[in-house]
Order: sequence, then C-alpha cells, then structure tokens
Amino acid sequence: MKYSLAFITLVMSSLLIGSVGDVFEVEKKAVLVDVSISDMLFSLGEPKPAHYIDSVSLEMIQRGNELIHFGRTIAPNGKNTKHISKFYKCISCHNTVKEDPNLAEVNPERRLDYAREMDIPFLQGSTFYGIVNRETWYNDDYVVKYGGLVEKAKNSLEESIQLCAEVCSQGRTLKQWEIESILAYFWTLDLKKSDLNWTAEDEKKMTNTSDDERLLHIKKKFLAKSPATFGELPESKSEGYKGLEGNPVNGKIIYELGCQHCHREKGESDVVLDDSKATLNWLKRNITANGDLSIYEIIRKGTYAAEGHKEYMPHYTLEKMSDQQIEDLRSYIESAI
Amino acid sequence: MKEHLKTRRLRIAGIAVFCCIATLTKAQDAKGELEGKTFYDTRIVNGQSVETNNEGVMKFIIAHRFGPVNGGGYELYGLDQSTIRLGFDYGISDNVSIGIGRSSNEKTGDVFFKARLLRQRTNGGTPISLTWFSGIAARGLKFVDDGRENKFEHRLAYTHQVLIARKWNERLSTQLMPSFLHRNLVLDTSQKNDIISIGAAARYVASKRFTFSLEYYHALPDMLSDPFENSLALGIDWETKGHVFQFHFGNSLGMTEKFFIGENTGSWADGDVRFGFNITRDFKIKGRKSR
Repeated sequence: MKYSLAFITLVMSSLLIGSVGDVFEVEKKAVLVDVSISDMLFSLGEPKPAHYIDSVSLEMIQRGNELIHFGRTIAPNGKNTKHISKFYKCISCHNTVKEDPNLAEVNPERRLDYAREMDIPFLQGSTFYGIVNRETWYNDDYVVKYGGLVEKAKNSLEESIQLCAEVCSQGRTLKQWEIESILAYFWTLDLKKSDLNWTAEDEKKMTNTSDDERLLHIKKKFLAKSPATFGELPESKSEGYKGLEGNPVNGKIIYELGCQHCHREKGESDVVLDDSKATLNWLKRNITANGDLSIYEIIRKGTYAAEGHKEYMPHYTLEKMSDQQIEDLRSYIESAI
Repeated sequence: MKEHLKTRRLRIAGIAVFCCIATLTKAQDAKGELEGKTFYDTRIVNGQSVETNNEGVMKFIIAHRFGPVNGGGYELYGLDQSTIRLGFDYGISDNVSIGIGRSSNEKTGDVFFKARLLRQRTNGGTPISLTWFSGIAARGLKFVDDGRENKFEHRLAYTHQVLIARKWNERLSTQLMPSFLHRNLVLDTSQKNDIISIGAAARYVASKRFTFSLEYYHALPDMLSDPFENSLALGIDWETKGHVFQFHFGNSLGMTEKFFIGENTGSWADGDVRFGFNITRDFKIKGRKSR
C-alpha cells in the first residue's frame, strides 16, 4: 500500500503531462502587406524617432510578440525568461489591433461601437497598434498626477515600456534585449495607409504639394498622442451624472468587453463578475457605496497596489470611458436583475 | 496490521478507474463555455472540493476546530480548546495542485496531489466537474506500544477520492466524494485498515459574498466500529478580496481525511459539535501561461 500513491502519482503525471507542460505556443500573425505610414513619413523627410530599430530579425519580433501576449519568452540563451509580471500580461490592459474607427479623433462611443463590431476588448490602456507612430506616451493628467514617475516615459517609448513593466504591471525590470524585442514587435503594428480612411481627396493632396505639406497632411490623419483626462465622480452617486440617461444595450457591451475582460473565471482579478443575479445585485447595491465597490469610484479612480495585494485596477480616463458610458453600464446592471 | 488480497484488488480497481477517467478526459470535446466556479474555495468544510488553485497561486490556509459546544460555559462552549492546521496549497497548473499541511491533532503532517480531470461546461457540454485527490497523512505522535516493532510506515494513512460535482444553477452546486481510506496501522483488531466512504456536499449561494455549505461523509456499513461516527458539518463561506472565510459547525475534530472519514468521535446526537473556521489567503507566486 505504501507505494500506491507514488504509483498513482506517476500514472497521473504521465497522463497529465500535456496540461502541465503545454507547449509555449506563439501567436503567428500574417504581416499585412500595406503601405507603412512611417515609411511614408520617413520618405518625406520625417526624422526617425529614438525608438526606431535599424536591424530587426524575425526572432526579435517573435520574442516581442510573446512578451506582450504571454509575459515571457525564450531568451537568446535558450532559456525561458521569468514572467514580466505575476499579475498581468500586457494584453490585460492593451489591445494589439486598431481600436478606433477614426484615428484622428478620440471618441469612446465610436470606439465601443467599433469594439462590438470587431469583437475586441474595451480597455483602459491605449492599443499598441500604432504606438510607434505616437510622439508622446504618458500624457496630460498622467503627467499632472504622477509627475516625476512618468517624466522620462512621457517622451520615450522605451522608458514607457519599462515603466509599464515595473510599475503598471507591478513586475520586473526588462532587459535591454527584451525592450528591443518588444519594439521590434511594435514596429510590425505600425499604422498602415489603409487604417487612415484614405480617400481620393487625400490622394489628391499628396500630388503637386511640397513634402512638408504632404507630411503635415498625413499627420493630420492620426493622433500623435493618446490624450488622457481623469474624470470626476458624479456629485450624487444615487442620481448619477447629471442629465445623462443610461442605455442598457451599450452597458451590456461595456460589461462584457470591458469588465469581464479581467473579472472572469481565472482572470486577472479575484472578483469574478459573471452574469448571475447575485453578482449584478451586488454591483447594484454598491453603486452608491463609498469606496471601490461602487462602479463610479472603481471606474474613475481605480484601485492601488498594496503590500501583500499588488493587483489593482487601473481607472478609465474620460477618453477611454465617457460619463455617458458609465451611466450605460449602470443602466445595464440595474435593468438586468 | 492487515494486508489483504481484497485491498490489492481495490487498489488495482482504483487505478483502473482513474486511468479510464483520465482517458475519457483527454477524449472529451470542448463543447460549450466553461462553467463558473462550482464552490468558492478548494475546501468545502473539512474535505476538498473539485476546485483547484490557479496556476502559480499559493494558498495559505489557517484552520481551527474548537472543543465540543456541549462542554458548556466552563469551556466557553469549546472555545477554550483549539486544534489547528496550517497548510499551503500550490497550483502547478490551473488543473493540478499539490499541498502540504501540519495539524496539531495527533501532530499529523499531510501532503496531497489533486488534479482536475473534467470541468463542467455550459450549453450541452461536459455536465460535471471531476477531480482526483490523493493524500498521505503521517501521524507524528510518539509510539506508545513498545512491545511492537514500530516502523515509519505505521504512521501513514492514504486517501484517494474522486470528487464529482455539478453546478445546477447559479445558486446550487452539489458534489459526491467516493473515498477510499487505508491506514497502515489501526487502533486494534476491531478496526478495519480500509474504509470506503461516500461523501456528499452542497453549497447554496445566498449572495455574491455569502454561501451556505454542507458536507457529509458516510462510511459503508460495517466499515466504522465504535466509537467512530460519520462526519457532518454545516457552514457559511464569506468571500472577500483575496480571502475566503469559512465558518462552520461539525462533529469532526480532524481536518485531514484520515480523521473526518475514519476516526471521527464526535456525535451530533450527543451535542458533540464543534465550531471551526478556515481562513484562506491566495498569493500569486509566479505568472501564468495564459491571461
């Protein structure tokens, strides 16, 4: 009998080895053959940014892809790296696809429609798609609130990546080759001409004009930064944001593509927000609560990493979720019960 | 110590059943979405639930069982006496956990292995969740019978369980726990080395944060002899951010399978019921393969 457990364990281990040691699969995406916006700009005399990489290999791109999607990769020495963060992957908060139908404007309502249409998450962080085309990264209220913490990152994509790894994801410091790999992957997400809703009128403006005019015109077609405005709580939580009527249909989409992205079974958060009455009732009961159980407070203020509980929820800026959308979410929670 | 042919057959049958289940698991289709948690935590009261730790998560469990409430006011209804178990569970993957614990009851150490083989799915997919559990408990008390040749294996007891659960709706979940307990050394010849027991458990979700739970282990006829009783416990789970608090009343002092399946002396009929609680706290030790 004394050997029975050992035997059973051996049998189980061999049968379960597939689940224990799953092959570390790499998401392989076909690179879209399209005109790169950066190439267009460079050809018109735009200087290459500090995060430009001269020499990119497929291995670097693959490593960068894995770091972004899985939080770890196989290092050049052949060994698995440590996870960047125990708590999050980069894609916990950021998409890697286009998330705005019109890249020249900030409009969370249209972004939600686009997210529903394309079935992509509705997240707090800006998408990595086109991140290399931006000129600043931590902007506006992030600078006002966090000051020195984001000072270096504001004007440097490399520093932004490092800040995100160390602070935002409560993880470790990235090695230089990891940052370069991530940048190599990011350059595959460079904006393409087809992303800019390019029209015949645009094409016309690209002929018989000076390089500077063309450059300016292309730059008008997308935002060089992702604006960030921190929203306020409503004056009265029971009344909500003044003058705004919630739309439960939109609220359901926000719940599914936003909240449940992390608040799911075995998700980033311990708090599972399923579709049960118990959960929706609990959310409804806490709408007017003081503290992070209220959807107003958790969305507008987020939570903070604490000793022993480093997981936290980043807030949604006004650009990422409007006051109207919070009322939509409230409306869904209240009407779904 | 008795070692019967029957025991060997049971062992072989158990391994065969496990192999069949594991093979079926590999062959199951992925129809439907994964069902949400069947139970709040990896323990129901004393025993295991079908739930396993998430990959990379270490669960620290502090469990207390107090004295019998029929001790009266002099014993502060049992609160003057306390038995404790400290344990760590770790999720090797989302479906495989290992654990270690130490209980003050008979100075018992325990280790276990737990594998989730089936997970309930919605929309006509797999109708149940199924988890295999194997554990060893080692009694740490000094031997008192000096006339016998005492060996380390005399301290050991083994438990194998198949945990079969179903979440019927968003409020009600039930679980069956066919269990096999083998003790290398028993108290006297009236005791059986092998005990087969069928456990049953249920939980009812009262609200997002609170659930009621019930757990009962019933040994097959003639498996338990005096003074041992079947184990029954009722509890309330309270889930908070990062912690689960489980408060309960039950007739079992022991918190490892060896005790509550085979060596439980408390009787509900005599008021020999104890208050107890489990507090669990999850720590993320390493990242996970998938988000």
